[in-house]
Amino acid sequence: MPSVVSKQYSDDVSLLVLLLDTNPLFWSTTSITFSQFLSHVLAFLNAVLGLNQLNQVVVIATGYSSCDYIYDSSSTSNHGNFESNGTGMPALFGSLLKKLEEFVTKDEELTKEEVSEDRIPSCLLSGSLSMALCYIQRVFRSGHLHPQPRILCLQGSPDGPEQYVAVMNSIFSAQRLMVPIDSCYIGVQNSAFLQQASYITGGVHHTPKQLDGLFQYLTTIFATDLHSRGFVQLPKPIGVDFRASCFCHKKTIDMGYICSVCLSIFCEHHKKCSTCGSVFGQSKHDDASSVSDKKRKAPST
Amino acid sequence: MPQVKIIAKNFMDMVASLPAIKLDKLYNNVFICEAILRSLPPLAKKYVLQMLYINVPVPATMMEEWVLADGASKHRVAIDRLIQLRIFSEISDRKRGTSYSLNPTFQNNLQKHIISGGVLPREPMNSDNAIKLPSLQELETYALKQWECFLLQLINSGQGEKLTGISSSMMKIFQRGLLSQRDKDGPRLTESGFQFLLMDTNAQLWYIIREYISNAEERDVEPADLISFLLELSFHVTGEAYNSNTLTEVQNNTLKDLADLGLVKLQQGRKDSWFIPTKLATNLSVSLADSSARKEGFVVMETNFRMYAYSTSKLQCEILRLFARIEYQLPNLIACAITKESLYNAFDNGITSDQIITFLQQNSHPRCADRVPSIPENVTDQIRLWETDLKRIEMTQAHFYDEFPSKDVFEAACDFAREWGGLLWEDSKRMRLVVKSEVHNQMREFLHTQSK
Repeated sequence: MPSVVSKQYSDDVSLLVLLLDTNPLFWSTTSITFSQFLSHVLAFLNAVLGLNQLNQVVVIATGYSSCDYIYDSSSTSNHGNFESNGTGMPALFGSLLKKLEEFVTKDEELTKEEVSEDRIPSCLLSGSLSMALCYIQRVFRSGHLHPQPRILCLQGSPDGPEQYVAVMNSIFSAQRLMVPIDSCYIGVQNSAFLQQASYITGGVHHTPKQLDGLFQYLTTIFATDLHSRGFVQLPKPIGVDFRASCFCHKKTIDMGYICSVCLSIFCEHHKKCSTCGSVFGQSKHDDASSVSDKKRKAPST
Repeated sequence: MPQVKIIAKNFMDMVASLPAIKLDKLYNNVFICEAILRSLPPLAKKYVLQMLYINVPVPATMMEEWVLADGASKHRVAIDRLIQLRIFSEISDRKRGTSYSLNPTFQNNLQKHIISGGVLPREPMNSDNAIKLPSLQELETYALKQWECFLLQLINSGQGEKLTGISSSMMKIFQRGLLSQRDKDGPRLTESGFQFLLMDTNAQLWYIIREYISNAEERDVEPADLISFLLELSFHVTGEAYNSNTLTEVQNNTLKDLADLGLVKLQQGRKDSWFIPTKLATNLSVSLADSSARKEGFVVMETNFRMYAYSTSKLQCEILRLFARIEYQLPNLIACAITKESLYNAFDNGITSDQIITFLQQNSHPRCADRVPSIPENVTDQIRLWETDLKRIEMTQAHFYDEFPSKDVFEAACDFAREWGGLLWEDSKRMRLVVKSEVHNQMREFLHTQSK
């Protein structure tokens, strides 16, 4: 996209869209509290803003069942109200904390409404990723010089397989826009979504080992602007989990059936593709015990 | 692109060249730490951030591992810069080799800034105050008007209009280097003066500010204080009014000068006086790095050497007048022509053809800028040709030697002159020789030893 590139600053000016995991089901299980985590993140954001006057930070909260913008350093409403709230936090982030609190309460209410017991306690990554991309798209189209955008996912919740299609679509849009998605996974398991997102878009994926040193991880790895990435040692992925989710039961699977027309993935044999409606051949399917032989490998995206 | 001799970026070199004690004192101010951080090369910024919470010296060999092989030169530049600004201190140890640690004052201040943010020492105006603040738009027009006024006065001092409140002695200081005093026809713009006009506003601003600071000692003002005040000013919010009661007298005086440059707008309340920083002031720390928004061009150049400039600015008109003949002016359009006479005039003033062409290219109207080349080729060629016309003869101070005693002495003298790079002309038949004046002394000594 030459027209986009020519509109960028030549320097290391960056737009960082941070996706903040606020999933209460995750934060009740961690070694560090959410407020400790938040203080690391706020210091990191301050540092990023401090690096260049033109740097811009947008924070999107990712809750259990909703997501929302909670901070945008470019909007003027953040200036002006310099009356410090007395908590020792930077006055600039006063509005962030307020918005975050409102968001968490709202998210809690929404969560109560749709109680489904067997849902994995995941956060709405697909939603916040799309919001981030929308924001970046708007910046691209604004017509002025714009900073180089990148997305950073700070997530601890496990993946929600039911979001598979939406997340993958967001990842591919990011790839098309040439926006790298960095991911910092702070949970216990590995996140296949985030690994794939960073791998496909050329971002950095890292899983910090000690959460009390989160700030150091953030500044060392994720504060690196895109301009400097060409000559700085950054962690390389050891392996990427390419597993997909099936479209029928939203389960993560190693092997499955694929529609030869639209590439939809299913965990068990169907007569008809639920996505495109193609009718599958029956072949020698009568013998149920031999299903495992015919299972094919899921596409490596 | 001609080499621009006035580099506005080297403001930081000026900071770096401050004596160690003053530099350490500067780092006591949180905002200066921040401004310095912003001015660093990207890699250096990263190192500072990375080492912000490391309290032990980091070995140099370890830091080299932070970068990839092709980043080695950038790594060295970053480290040199950090040491030059005394942000890094180098510790040499026989056992472990060189290691670096952050300047403790700088480190502390930056840590504090990142965790709790900075609070400006100025009191912002309460919103319930009766004074009406100018809108951002008004403020910007005001700033640009002041700045243009100032530039106009700078290049036009002969016409004696008193447009701004800058004292004439101060004006002289700014004009030093930009204008040359000639006997008859008053001050003329020098080569660097023209380059100055070619730069964008931020760069010009820094040049002026730099002159202002380097001149501070003559006015009994400590340059370090001035630097810290100016850098601090760039962290104020554009369009907010700040009470000037917390300012020292020196700062108050500085503020008046800055108001003349359009950096701040002064406003008098009933009890207190206020100052409102404009965009020029808050952009000060931006221009430390070289990213600056480009202005939109306004010049349309035609193949018949006519030039149309869509501009209402008197300053732009003056700049064009430097190398073109203004034919007529409409409210928003200046029509001019580039002629041999107007260009000779410009060359006479030390402006080069390359400078003129670069100026035209940089300021070409968006419609023309898309074309390649943006300036018609026959025009650029002709400008260059006219310049070379003037340079057909080159004058060199020289000495003439003849009546050599023998062919050998003559040959030896020729070789000697050639070695020194001073031989201009030789006539071996009649044994005559012309040598540059610079080597005349050496030549004379040489001939003396030869004749013995």
